[in-house]
Amino acid sequence: MELEIRNISVSLSNKEILKSINLTVENGEFISLLGASGCGKSTLLKTIAGIIKQREGSILLGGKVLDRLPPHKRRTVIVFQDFRLFPHMTLAENISFPLKMMGVNKSECRKRAIELLKKVKLEGYEDRFVDEISGGQKQRVALARALAADPVVLLLDEPFSSLDVNLRKDMRELVLDLQKEYKITTILVTHDQEEALAMSDRIAFMYNGEILQYDKPENIFNNPVNTIVADYFSEGTYISGEIRDRRFISDFFNISANKDNGRYKCLIRPAALKVSKANDSDFEVVAKVYQGDNYLLKINKKDSNLKLESILNEPLDIEEGDKVTIELDKDKLIFIPE
Amino acid sequence: MNKKTPYILIMPIVLLGVLFIYGLVNGIIQSFGYIPAFDLRDFTLDYYVKVIKSPTFLDSLKLTLQISLISSILSAVLGTILTAALVYTGHTEGKALQIIKLAILIPHTIVALFSISILSQNGLLARLFYKLGLIDAQTDFPLLLYTKNNIGIILGYLWKEVPFVAYFSLSLMASINKTLGEAAENLGASRLKSFFYITLPLSMPAIGKAFLIILTFSFGAYDLPFLLGATVPKALPVQAHIEYIHPDLRHRPYAMAMNGLILLITWIMAGIYYLVTNSKKIKGDNHERS
Amino acid sequence: MKDLSSNRLLKIFLYLALFAILAPMVIIIFWAFANQWPWPNLLPTSYSLRGVKEIFAPYGKVFPILTSSITLSLTVALLSAIIAIMTARAIVFYDFWGKGILDFISMAPNLVPSTVFAMGIHVVFIKMSLANTPLGVIIVHLIYTLPYTINIMRNLTESIGKDMEQQAYVLGASPWKSFLYISFPLLLPGIIASITMAYILSFSQYFVTLLIGGGKVMTFSMIMVPFIAKGDRTLGSAYALVFVISTLLVFTIINTIMKRFQKRKEKYNWN
Repeated sequence: MELEIRNISVSLSNKEILKSINLTVENGEFISLLGASGCGKSTLLKTIAGIIKQREGSILLGGKVLDRLPPHKRRTVIVFQDFRLFPHMTLAENISFPLKMMGVNKSECRKRAIELLKKVKLEGYEDRFVDEISGGQKQRVALARALAADPVVLLLDEPFSSLDVNLRKDMRELVLDLQKEYKITTILVTHDQEEALAMSDRIAFMYNGEILQYDKPENIFNNPVNTIVADYFSEGTYISGEIRDRRFISDFFNISANKDNGRYKCLIRPAALKVSKANDSDFEVVAKVYQGDNYLLKINKKDSNLKLESILNEPLDIEEGDKVTIELDKDKLIFIPE
Repeated sequence: MNKKTPYILIMPIVLLGVLFIYGLVNGIIQSFGYIPAFDLRDFTLDYYVKVIKSPTFLDSLKLTLQISLISSILSAVLGTILTAALVYTGHTEGKALQIIKLAILIPHTIVALFSISILSQNGLLARLFYKLGLIDAQTDFPLLLYTKNNIGIILGYLWKEVPFVAYFSLSLMASINKTLGEAAENLGASRLKSFFYITLPLSMPAIGKAFLIILTFSFGAYDLPFLLGATVPKALPVQAHIEYIHPDLRHRPYAMAMNGLILLITWIMAGIYYLVTNSKKIKGDNHERS
Repeated sequence: MKDLSSNRLLKIFLYLALFAILAPMVIIIFWAFANQWPWPNLLPTSYSLRGVKEIFAPYGKVFPILTSSITLSLTVALLSAIIAIMTARAIVFYDFWGKGILDFISMAPNLVPSTVFAMGIHVVFIKMSLANTPLGVIIVHLIYTLPYTINIMRNLTESIGKDMEQQAYVLGASPWKSFLYISFPLLLPGIIASITMAYILSFSQYFVTLLIGGGKVMTFSMIMVPFIAKGDRTLGSAYALVFVISTLLVFTIINTIMKRFQKRKEKYNWN
């Protein structure tokens, strides 16, 4: 169902945590709330679920106002970072819990629990207890339990951050598969930009209790509205300048740019910079850092404080101290209005 | 979630709390000589003055303080050693702890019976001394019960409170020893030094609290001194009860004044405890800052 | 070397302490079944069931008093545990007017000797016709058990936190059901500890029951103490034995009933 958040403000112990948040999530859409810790993303999640009360604003689900509905009647189910499996119940009982609350009878509960365990690839685990399974398995149970609650909106609060890197990929795939299968409107809270880019239909970038940008992953990555958003995805070097008649003019370079006139900052991310070895150049490689898949080159310009970075995919014969010429890929440059 | 919820939750404790304060205040008011039911309507400090001046009271006070201080200090020391013994010999759970819990379960009235059957002149200890040839007759065995030395009472308290101190401070000392104590040993401190420099000072909050509890308890307790005490002087709470049930109801304010003084001394004890623990904290803070 | 010897000393101390705790109990058992134990024998010269028989004699009142005394203390224990759960929840999870005062009041009975309080409230209870009634005794016992039970429930409530209940809400459980199905089972170890603690405090009370009950409310302590006061070792010991055994029996029953609520006996790990 479509979820609409209108002007939500939240204060906790007299501190304003959320400032007039507006957000719409389409039916069946998967969006991410991305931001650093303390930006208010988890608070927004809990406000949607009704665990935290808003000071102002409304939450609408399928056009109906949720504000007066207590958490247990909202069907907005959260999967928490720490999974919160009930330690005194078996896995099947954990998964049956929401069904039991709906009044489903015992044998049906168990049948559904076993089905759901199969869905999350934990066949035969129904009578285990929580402290007998691994972190990744707990995550699967938490997910199955959330699905058992038949959620209208599924809220995932940093669900992968406590897992090993290797496990995370599998879990992301599982979550996406199940989300597609059940067509549940889903909100993922994360601080991991790669996770947000890889999984979401849209990303809402949060900062200091506000949503700075809400857009498709490609758009938010390529056209960040400001330096805060831009920096979160990838670091780079900013060059101040001006665009006049579709050309960006700065102290260091001029290049064609498809933007309106005005003052801009041009962000040069490492991927936008190509280097080649040259004998006579103002640019010098000061460091070469091995990153596994590639090398990161740190480049300084002579007689200025301009510092650039570039990615080197082949272990070419460029070494520290070498002089290089640089070439900008104008499609990968990002212009942010000042 | 609901604003009313906490007030519903605290309703019973508030009711009982009000009753508690009412009883307390009522007793204090009576100690100033105001009991309209007995036709006493003057608000006066006379009863306090008379009680404090009476030699019976002073003897009782001395005796009660003596019993509670000696038994509590000894209990704290022996209890701490017992805690250390449990921690360092790895008996923090299991049978040893069950036995200690058993001592907490036995009421003071039964402890009095223990004292009687072991410490009286024809008790088991006297019989043992006789068999060992240390004494020639029952009467050679020193009087420990119903006499001024109160050894029977003090030993009774020790039997109850040493396990209590151990039980109360065990979990703290065990956890400190497991983390910091081991770290200290790893840094080269001997076991003994790591105990005295690290584990013991950090366990003091629990030991101190246990000490305060047994000190104030034994100061205001009735059972053991009632069952094992001498005819004169009597422990304060026993003396107060005697005044309380005096056929002449106008004696009532004396009982209440004694109670008021018991209360006052209990609070002074607690006050000293908080002053000592807080001043330590302030010193600690300064130390951290410098 | 030094460490080893200090360890040996600690071990000796521990065993001495455990012996000192157990020895009087063994002596009591001997006394309870002693027929004749004249000076200077270290063991009774003959045994009999006189003490036990006298306690449970059909014409005696001991057994009915024992059952009513257990009922009274169980009532105190249950009420104390319930009030402690409620108070702990309020203090840990909510902000409300007067929280600091309440926090202090709930611990205050520790700082007022029960003798002082009992004599103070006695007149009030007489006016309220609570004196000499079981209800009056229950109330006073309750007040003196609450600091302990509240302390137990508070620590546990804090360590469990609200997380599990919140999870239950979003899974569709109402606040009451969340408490019943999630928090209550998790609080069970503390509830058992509270009930046992309150029970033993109530069952042991002598002075307070004597004063407030006025001899009309008879508890087991009330009939046991006169024998101890007289120095009657055989009967005193028999009563003491019944006291300890009945208490252990009650604890076992409480444990079995409570453990039925939970499936596994192992300790829980939250996280």
